[in-house]
Amino acid sequence: MTNTLKAPAVGAAINRVEGKLKVMGMAKYATEFSVENKVYAQGINSTIAKGEIIAIDTSEAEALAGVLAVITHKNAEKLNHFEEEMPLLATTTIAPVLQSPKVNYYGEYVGVVVAETFEQAQYAARLVKIEYKEDSDPTIQFDESKSKAIKPKGNSDYLRGDMEAGLAEADETLDATYITPIEHHHPMELHAIIASWDNGKVTAYSSQQMVNESTIAIADTFQIPKKDVRVITPFVGGGFGSKLNTERHVTLAIMASKMLARPVQMTVTRHQMFTNTGMRQHNAQRMQLGAKRDGSLTALSHDTLSHTSTYQEYQEPCGMISKMLYKVPNNQITYRLIPMNFQTPFAMRAPGEATGSFALESAMDEMAWKLKMDPVAFRIKNDTQIDLGADKPFSSRLLIECLRIGADKFGWENRPMQPRSKQEGNWHVGYGVSAASRKSPYLKSSAKVLLKLENEKVYATVQMDATDIGTGSYTIIAQTAAEYLGIPVEQVTVELGDSKFPITPGSGGSWGATSYCNGARAACQSAIATLKKNKNIGEDQEITVAKLLKQNKLEKFEAEGTAVPSEAFKEHSVFSFGANFSEVWVDKYTWMYRIKRMVNVGAAGTILNPKTAYGQIIGGLTMGVGMVLSEQTRVEPNFGNFITRSFADYHVPVSLDMANVEVIFLPEEDKIANEMGMKGIGELGITSVAASVANAIFNATGKRMRELPITPEKLIEAPVEPGVLA
Amino acid sequence: MGELEKRKKNTGSDNLTEDEKKIFDQLGLKNGASRRKFLKLVSSASLSVYASSYATSPLFANTAKDLPHHQRVMLNEVKVNLRVNDRLKPLTLDSRTSLLDTLREHLALTGTKKGCDHGQCGACTVLVDGKRKLSCLTLAATCEDREITTIEGLADGNEPNAMQQAFLKHDGFQCGYCTSGQICSSVALLEEAKNGEASYVTEDFRKIETNLRLSEEEIRERMSGNICRCGVYNNIVQAFKEVHSGNDEMPSWEFATKEQMKKAKNS
Repeated sequence: MTNTLKAPAVGAAINRVEGKLKVMGMAKYATEFSVENKVYAQGINSTIAKGEIIAIDTSEAEALAGVLAVITHKNAEKLNHFEEEMPLLATTTIAPVLQSPKVNYYGEYVGVVVAETFEQAQYAARLVKIEYKEDSDPTIQFDESKSKAIKPKGNSDYLRGDMEAGLAEADETLDATYITPIEHHHPMELHAIIASWDNGKVTAYSSQQMVNESTIAIADTFQIPKKDVRVITPFVGGGFGSKLNTERHVTLAIMASKMLARPVQMTVTRHQMFTNTGMRQHNAQRMQLGAKRDGSLTALSHDTLSHTSTYQEYQEPCGMISKMLYKVPNNQITYRLIPMNFQTPFAMRAPGEATGSFALESAMDEMAWKLKMDPVAFRIKNDTQIDLGADKPFSSRLLIECLRIGADKFGWENRPMQPRSKQEGNWHVGYGVSAASRKSPYLKSSAKVLLKLENEKVYATVQMDATDIGTGSYTIIAQTAAEYLGIPVEQVTVELGDSKFPITPGSGGSWGATSYCNGARAACQSAIATLKKNKNIGEDQEITVAKLLKQNKLEKFEAEGTAVPSEAFKEHSVFSFGANFSEVWVDKYTWMYRIKRMVNVGAAGTILNPKTAYGQIIGGLTMGVGMVLSEQTRVEPNFGNFITRSFADYHVPVSLDMANVEVIFLPEEDKIANEMGMKGIGELGITSVAASVANAIFNATGKRMRELPITPEKLIEAPVEPGVLA
Repeated sequence: MGELEKRKKNTGSDNLTEDEKKIFDQLGLKNGASRRKFLKLVSSASLSVYASSYATSPLFANTAKDLPHHQRVMLNEVKVNLRVNDRLKPLTLDSRTSLLDTLREHLALTGTKKGCDHGQCGACTVLVDGKRKLSCLTLAATCEDREITTIEGLADGNEPNAMQQAFLKHDGFQCGYCTSGQICSSVALLEEAKNGEASYVTEDFRKIETNLRLSEEEIRERMSGNICRCGVYNNIVQAFKEVHSGNDEMPSWEFATKEQMKKAKNS
């Protein structure tokens, strides 16, 4: 790379540059900014699944000392609202709230109390009495509501070839349905905001993954110019998709600030995190596979039934993975949605792939068993370097290498071909494998770089509206700037999470690292190019930035740059690939099981920082372990409320649940993907875990578990598959 | 908001903002020292401007500006002398106020985090008289005469303590929101091991010795009250092990070699 007169910064396993702030408790999250004169808001939630508010008594709450306002649909500000029936939910979608007496689901905001202290607001919220007229027929039970399913507006049904013909020519066929439950993101930082409305201008210290989108959503909701909205979110305490959207507490806090002329702090409680932020929806995925005796797939269909809210449409793209992962001539993908009385679901880490890969990679394992083929060999047999779904070549695809290197490292050759044949004391022992893949998007991204020459050294500050949700954005952007400016990373400062900075796509969908770093690269390259041009220095001439500034007689200089995907990117399908191997021990008396160890291989292009990349992989694996072990939001069948409403009953994985994990990165540089050769890694880890563990459980016990989470009581009841020697 | 604007204008310049000057004075530093020198004192060099913009108040929470100062109407007002990080803070509180909200909302010590407010996630863990305690389940009014240590009080000035450094080295965090609690729990756990306290996976309760050498399973069990949704438990365990044993822990990632790649391609 031009001007790099030092050891490369990209690729080094440096500590996080913001790490010291975090380990010392100094990093500032949304509600930790010093805002004078602030007051506290507490949301009130509906207690019916469907119906209408007929009366609200706020007198007792309002009479409490310190209570400033109780806002309900009766006195709320009028906001922009949905014009059409069931609009598609996007990251810039408006977030109207308290606009009518209608109740769409149990737990919907029906009011907000604002008080001088947090304690007063919490207490007063309980004193608001609401009377409802309940609708007798809410849609709250998935299995009983299948006839209400609709074809989504944002329809992405797909067909290539002829499914019937494909199944007809198969030697073995499979028809199985895989169930995944409602899950919740639960970032450790509760959704929270301090909002100030000041003469039509909004300042929001709000925990958001996408800054620019959030300013658009706020501006559109309140019908004010976007330039009058400032969103500040330098540190985000986890998101996993739940903070992509501007959720309704943001609207409530801004509305309250406008009505009271005071800054308003509002924190969504952990309880409310189940009903007032997104969720991953319940999916039933029917898989049909056909294969020849030699292992070649002849047909693959992936039909997903899931649900959305009654007022917005969102479809998790579960079938996406079945369109692209294997070479199969006949392929059908369909989606159907049941409008139900719950909040609108939305993207949770690897939407589509996390759940879709459980279905596809379990089905692949089932088919391998039918064919009496090794599951690794079966996958390799059906590898493709062309994305048949998009009809484009992959920019790079090292899936076979991931599978083979992982198998070697794991000791796959010791896997018993015959399920339920390996025992250690009381334990059935089994090995499982799953392929992993995740789309690696690249979106337009801008950055500003400010250079300063001081004592012969160049210091750089990079500014972007990007966010670091734990992904390591600060660190890899600093490394990128150091690399392209040819200065030590210690001389780089990164400032993120402020809508005053140049626009980026925000964090989500595994596009953050690629988009941010290329944006920062473009800004640095633009600075150097301009400095060279001013002095008629050739583009290829190697010269330090310090000398360039000196020759320009400048002590300070700033430049902006924007990176966009190339034509080559658009002509290819860009995905990261991986493979996960797990060893599971199942107790033959209690049917409790432990994931003993995992080997995970990832091919995600240039690894910018192995330390933070490793964190992304094990983070995905851990959340994947949650999917398979325990995570499930349960619906009360009579009232439609979630009965798992805290960490005591919605079990996210803890330290003791996690296995020993070995992570192998493949050396890869994908220059078609982007100039820096990188691909996304934030979601790759989670896309393989559930199937890998379920397949290991089959290998250990001969029981095929098609419903997540896989709990001991389900394992006890599950039959041993035909053909397995019990 | 106004402050932030001012600071942003100052990005890259040598001028100190009003806030920084105040802190400067508190530190007993001479006027006129450069901003960069100041920044070195309060932050890591790589994040210098950043750190100065957002990270000053929690360390120096005794500035009047950072304390809520508008009149509030309280229920069952109580006066409590809280000793936090070796500083005595006389406070007048609503009796319902948790220690967590007192730290965050009344003392601007926001390093202690609110993850669930129900004692189920561990993010709010602080040390009370040296023992780990969930500050969300502790009423501030019960803490008179107790020695409270928060994440802000663990470091020696600007120098992170051994556990904080190990977390940094082993990347024992991502978003950073559970981190304060994880570190406070880890610090307390070192003491628990020294004192020979039992855990759920202790094999024989009758034979517990002091100065326990905790196995990985013991560490994981004893740290399972602290949830990390980013999922870096393995790194946290490594960081803890390194401080606990005094031996360097190696990372568990590697790159495939050229030979491995060649073999995988051709087999």
